[in-house]
Amino acid sequence: MSDMNAGLPPGASAPWATAPPDVDLGRVWTGVAAQVWRRDPGRVERLAGRLLRSPGLARALVATPSLLLGWIIATAVVLAVGVVATLGTGTPYVALCAPALAAAGIAYAYGPGIDPAFELSRTMAVGDRMVLLVRTLAVFGLNAALGLAASAASGVAAALTFGWLVPMTAACAIALAAATLARSANVGVAAGIAGWVIMLLAGRATLGQYTAAITDAALVFPYLLFAACCCAVALFASRISRGTS
Amino acid sequence: MNVDITDLTRRFGRTQAVAGVSLQAGAGVFGLLGPNGAGKTSLLRMMATVLPPTSGRMRLLDRDPRSYAPRREIRRRLGYLPQNLGYYPGFTVAEFVEYFALLKDIPPGQVARAVAASIEHVDLGDKARTKLRTLSGGMLRRVGIAQAIVNGPELLLLDEPTAGLDPEQRVSFRALLRDLGQRATVIVSTHLVEDVGAACTEVALMDAGKIVFHGTPDELTARGEGSGAAGDAPLERGYSAVLAAARSVTAARS
Repeated sequence: MSDMNAGLPPGASAPWATAPPDVDLGRVWTGVAAQVWRRDPGRVERLAGRLLRSPGLARALVATPSLLLGWIIATAVVLAVGVVATLGTGTPYVALCAPALAAAGIAYAYGPGIDPAFELSRTMAVGDRMVLLVRTLAVFGLNAALGLAASAASGVAAALTFGWLVPMTAACAIALAAATLARSANVGVAAGIAGWVIMLLAGRATLGQYTAAITDAALVFPYLLFAACCCAVALFASRISRGTS
Repeated sequence: MNVDITDLTRRFGRTQAVAGVSLQAGAGVFGLLGPNGAGKTSLLRMMATVLPPTSGRMRLLDRDPRSYAPRREIRRRLGYLPQNLGYYPGFTVAEFVEYFALLKDIPPGQVARAVAASIEHVDLGDKARTKLRTLSGGMLRRVGIAQAIVNGPELLLLDEPTAGLDPEQRVSFRALLRDLGQRATVIVSTHLVEDVGAACTEVALMDAGKIVFHGTPDELTARGEGSGAAGDAPLERGYSAVLAAARSVTAARS
């Protein structure tokens, strides 16, 4: 307070130096600070808060690493290059690379490998499994939407435009299971991409074309079964608590 | 009792981290002392509902944390500062504390005031809008404490809270602990016996997963008197004497 009186005549005090005795200045200051430091949630966060009925879950959702603007732009650029390559060569690059892109996004959605405060997050009233579920669904949905838009723009047959959605589910599921089990986003990315590449090569070996892994209707049930198994593994792995003493 | 633990154990493979701990704690500041690997962090993590016990009974805030709804209610009233608290480098101090305030289910209308109050409590008001990546280790520790107290917890668990704080900050932090301990159960795991002497009303000493002493800091100090145990301060001598006695009993049994 002495600094605030600097420049006043000796013995004089500034008008603000004397407050009514019943005013709790600390409380007033906290109220002022609360207004000054308040963060206004963006439009997406407000919408997510209304849909999810939880401002905490909405905040956790918009903080997803693979939903940050830079990541989304990078995904869109890769798919745009895929569209150009598809139009130029006739090979459905969008359908071939979309599942791998989505798998990488899922692996980087949530977990101890990418969330610096993961241990703390596990003690919150908004459960970590709920955060994982919401983030995974949002990343999956966004990647599906971007992939479908790119597929449609590349002008391939309908079977190829939509056919990769089921294999994408399987690739995402294995990425999620691996990331959760190994507690490492990079392991999840590697597992998702490797799994998808193996499927493409297997299709090439058995039916002679890379798109067999996408267009073969007989693979739909095995993909979905595999995805369900991977999700069960992810649920089990997120239940186990590990650590040191 | 806010913490009521009976015969709690936790194993990691073949390692027994916590070996039959029983503990009751009401309001006040409870110090958890012990050497590295004694099981303090595992015990704290179990109380923080991060780690399920292998066996034993635990009730926190009169609720059983094994079921979903009571666990969620416990977490709403819990403050936890882990030993290694990660930080989001792109967040400001206020954003970080607000993030966890929202995850703790504080009603949205109360979040801003709760965030401001907790930041002021740890004396980081002038850094509220500063990015975490620019802060020193001691300041980051204070940010961690701010998020732990943002919901006005009834049970506050702090793992090495004074690590990285300078002496002046430690003195004011102990005052904050004493203040919080009047309303809540504050459990502090630490290596620093002077923190225990200055702030704690009760203390437990752990070794090899077991509680080998439970009493007041004065009682621990008394154990060191005339024992010839090593230590610069009376409380340190008590600590050393109790540990030495516990280990000699263990050695004799084996």
